[in-house]
Amino acid sequence: MDSSEAPAPRPVTLAIDGAAETLEASVPPQTDPTEDSFREESIDLDAEAFVSPQDDSSHFESLKDKLNDQMMESVMISDSPNSEEEDVAPIDSLLEQNEEEEAKTTDGDTEERNEDVSTASAAEPEEASEALFKEESEEEKIVQVDDKRENVAPDDPKPEAPKTQEPALEIDTDMPPKDEAVPVCTIFNQGVLPKAQALIPDGFQPTLVKSPSFTIGNTETPNKLVPQVCQPSPSLSKFFTESSAVNPASDFFDSFTTSTSFISISNPNAESPKAAAPPESPLLSAATAAETVPTSTYFTPVATKPQVSPVEPMSQLQTVFPSGDDPFGSALITSDLDKRYDAWLPSDDTRKVLISVATQQISPVQIDREQLAMPGLKFDNLQGDAVKDLMQRFLGDQAAMKRQVLSANSVEQNFLGLKRLISTKNWRAAVDLTGRLLTAHGQGYGKSGQPTNHTTDSLQLWFVRLALLVKLSLFQNAELEFEPFGNLDHPNLYYEYYPTVYPGRRGSMVPFSMRVLHAELPQYLQKPQETLDRLHRIKSVCQKILSNLQEGLAEDGSMMNLTQDNRLASIQLWRSRLSRVMYSMANCLLMMKDYVLAVETYHSIIEYEPEQRVQLLSGIGRIFLQVRAETPGVTGSDVKTLPRPPKTARSNTAFVYLSQNNYADAHTCFSSVLKLDPKNPVANNNAAVCLLYLGRLKESLGQLESLVHKDPALYLHESVLFNLTTMYELESSRSTQKKQALLEATACREGDSFNVQCLKLV
Amino acid sequence: MQVKGQASAADKMEVNQAKQEHLLALKVMRLTKPTLFTNMPVTCEDRDLPGDLFVRLMKDDPSTVKGAETLILGEMLTLPQNFGNIFLGETFSSYISVHNDSNQVVKDILVKADLQTSSQRLNLSASNSAVSELKPECCIDDVIHHEVKEIGTHILVCAVSYTTQTGEKLYFRKFFKFQVLKPLDVKTKFYNAETDEVFLEAQIQNITTSPMFMEKVSLEPSLMYNVTELNSVSSSSESESTFGRMSYLQPLDTRQYLYCLKPKPEFAEKAGVIKGVTVIGKLDIVWKTNLGERGRLQTSQLQRMAPGYGDVRLSLELIPDTVSLEEPFDITCKITNCSERTMDLVLEMCNTRSVHWCGVSGRQLGKLTPNASLSIPLKLLSSVQGLQSISGLRLTDTFLKRTYEYDDIAQVCVVCPYTSPES
Repeated sequence: MDSSEAPAPRPVTLAIDGAAETLEASVPPQTDPTEDSFREESIDLDAEAFVSPQDDSSHFESLKDKLNDQMMESVMISDSPNSEEEDVAPIDSLLEQNEEEEAKTTDGDTEERNEDVSTASAAEPEEASEALFKEESEEEKIVQVDDKRENVAPDDPKPEAPKTQEPALEIDTDMPPKDEAVPVCTIFNQGVLPKAQALIPDGFQPTLVKSPSFTIGNTETPNKLVPQVCQPSPSLSKFFTESSAVNPASDFFDSFTTSTSFISISNPNAESPKAAAPPESPLLSAATAAETVPTSTYFTPVATKPQVSPVEPMSQLQTVFPSGDDPFGSALITSDLDKRYDAWLPSDDTRKVLISVATQQISPVQIDREQLAMPGLKFDNLQGDAVKDLMQRFLGDQAAMKRQVLSANSVEQNFLGLKRLISTKNWRAAVDLTGRLLTAHGQGYGKSGQPTNHTTDSLQLWFVRLALLVKLSLFQNAELEFEPFGNLDHPNLYYEYYPTVYPGRRGSMVPFSMRVLHAELPQYLQKPQETLDRLHRIKSVCQKILSNLQEGLAEDGSMMNLTQDNRLASIQLWRSRLSRVMYSMANCLLMMKDYVLAVETYHSIIEYEPEQRVQLLSGIGRIFLQVRAETPGVTGSDVKTLPRPPKTARSNTAFVYLSQNNYADAHTCFSSVLKLDPKNPVANNNAAVCLLYLGRLKESLGQLESLVHKDPALYLHESVLFNLTTMYELESSRSTQKKQALLEATACREGDSFNVQCLKLV
Repeated sequence: MQVKGQASAADKMEVNQAKQEHLLALKVMRLTKPTLFTNMPVTCEDRDLPGDLFVRLMKDDPSTVKGAETLILGEMLTLPQNFGNIFLGETFSSYISVHNDSNQVVKDILVKADLQTSSQRLNLSASNSAVSELKPECCIDDVIHHEVKEIGTHILVCAVSYTTQTGEKLYFRKFFKFQVLKPLDVKTKFYNAETDEVFLEAQIQNITTSPMFMEKVSLEPSLMYNVTELNSVSSSSESESTFGRMSYLQPLDTRQYLYCLKPKPEFAEKAGVIKGVTVIGKLDIVWKTNLGERGRLQTSQLQRMAPGYGDVRLSLELIPDTVSLEEPFDITCKITNCSERTMDLVLEMCNTRSVHWCGVSGRQLGKLTPNASLSIPLKLLSSVQGLQSISGLRLTDTFLKRTYEYDDIAQVCVVCPYTSPES
């Protein structure tokens, strides 16, 4: 060690710390960027250890008063029973001067911390959200220290030489008192602070590993800026891990949900201006032309009939859709099927309006606009292909050119095209196409709040659009567009409202699945209670309809004779709908971590879906494993003993081993499933995960990698890819190349809805 | 940065080398339990526009449960996606991987993982022997485990030293810092019963952010006591926990446990001895979180201030809980001399509004040496219905002419044995 150079940093750090303290006292810590970064840089040892016991007890006193009428005594918790008291390890050879410096900065740091512990701890959790540790490299630390010296040294009047011995000394004197406190942690007497942290939703969440290195810092800042919207984590289950109070399920595609950017205010720059704003079709009547929407070309091929009546444009549009039934023809045949599927019980107010329309007491025109659903697109173009963008960024334009996916332009502008987009997993393009079709229907961008007529097909289009938005995790967008629909109970969402268009047809135009979707949506936006409310409303309607059917009435309670077959079919349909709603409820409860109710609800589904008994019981077993409830009757191990296919039994046994930390046996079990079903993606993936926990990274990686390459159809799934990329990161510093290879593999198979987050390239 | 150059020039090999690329890369990942993938079912019916498309998409998705695609909790395991939180009493596990990124064989690799806490430094490496050689693209893997016993900052220090083909000895270190948080908040309260029993009420609050399954919350009594747990209700055949079948604790939920402690006979005899601060025992808490991630904590010894009994203690050994109106009943009092001197006691019994003593008042009990006790059967009756307090006993020490008053010693429920003809 160079004697002239090496001692210098130490005294200087001391001086800086002194300076830091005074600085902190007067100025809020964040104001001084250098100071801030400096603090992050240092390794500070246990701030809490320095908090004096008196402080704690006084904290506690006040808390006690608040929380308890009866005074409770606070208790010290010693650590686990098998803790051994150990002497302070001497700073061993590894800890050389660098670390001593760190130790020194620590002291100053903790003192600061005592003054504003809350800010420090509140700031910390914002950082480091990755599984892999970020390291604090020594080199940079040295840089830091030296920086400091240059900045502050002039202010430092203290002579440097006499201090050279101090660091070592101070560490020695510092340690013994702490040493005495070792075996028993006085953790339970400072109630206030930790509690306050726990109450802050994300107080705990990312925590722990500070990443001081400046290089990484850059990539982290965006997260800090928009912590609520953008969550860097991929779309993996968090329900049982550390609960992220912030948007747990939100935004798997967060890069796209940074909402405003995709709600384009107008359409001019839309991806295909020609298609979107075509010249008005001469074939369309004045009635349609009156609408300000640029009515579309999509309808020209079919809109060949001459216009007849003012009601026509809508019905005419309807004829466009291949599946659309001719309204006048279908008017005569009110099929049983329609009645069965469309049945719904409107609210009393809505029912009154519908009756007065049916009895021609009022005409639909007179109805207050407030009572009508007047939807319109809230954003019109979310074209984009994240896979292609990534390819451009990492593999160059040439490679990106090779990426070919269907877009809204490259398919037929009708339901067939839409289906093609959906089945090829080009959901973004499909959303665009629904937008175009709805625009053609007069419910395009900016049309929200304007009077409009609904048809079976327009509502189906809305359903598909909203369902795809949810599938794409664009929940905010879905919520925005759902809003004009209210509770899906507006009079103009019922067939009775359109006696001329749908003569004799009754019931809801809103498909049942759309109601379920509408109910499920709020839970993804942190409003699970709202979801449960809505689901319960649907459930009660389902039950009412079922009881009507059982009492010999029609679905809506009217005295109508149904044939026996008809009745049975209807009962069957509504039972399956009821069970679908129960599933949603159970799922929502599970997300809320209300395991007791969730398990009860899953149990009650068995009655409706007896053929899903095995799956449901296994699922319940997995829930029990999460919470580890060992009560006789319904444990995980109990579930596994039920008679069932051997495959499920083995995989359930594997989960039980897993919960016992027995990764070796869990691996054996998953492998034995593979003997029965070599292509089982779940067992393959899970076996590989077990290998990693056994310290066999290369094998695990090899297994997953070969699977992805051999059978991409099964393994290009975000969960598998996430595991794979995580292992790449763990394996080597060259993970980016390997991830890029995965990107190429996905590029030629997956549509534009692929969640690129799982590749962890950004 | 220029400053960096200066610093490393002044230093020894390690920092000097840090500037250049190392041949080996060190990666560390915390191994929390894997999680189960949850999917997001979006369904439609056959008659809806997408037809069977949504159903087919869900069936093709490998992460769904086949046959029950609407069930969100799948079976696909995913690796931990962030560091998460670590709590006192849990086990910290970490994967340490040293990978040879270069294209040359590296020799004599020594990987060392130490955990520095505020008070100590622990070596966590499974083996401390050097690996003789590592080929390109190969790894040295280690999974370390450590049960966390302190809160606050912990630093994982990983050091790697190795020799290149040219015989150059290289060395680098990396630091990984994490905070250990407190998982539970425990508060206790003692109640002293009329007898020697002590009731302990313990409130345990989950201050983590995830549900906890409380696998075990038990009181390990100190030498002097026997403990009965009062946290289950036993019906005819089986006993059920008062907390229900699934005994898990949601974040910020508090649960109250109750224990009854009885001094062991040998200590109870010397009841006077249990004075001042005594050690009652400690709580042992075991919990589990995600997929059986386990944690365990013990409290420090719980201490209680024994109630002061003054010079003479009067306790009840026998008393009925319910008696009939105006019918005499028996109680047995135990009188213990808790003072340091011998006493000569006289017992007086004073009637109250409701309690009427039978027998002679002012009788001599004789001499009582320190710590000695005697039992006296007494008879009394109550003239008022309802919950009645037994009061009015007076002990006088004739040596010091000091009188001790004992009121509200216990309660009995007085009921009328006859049903009135009107009702």
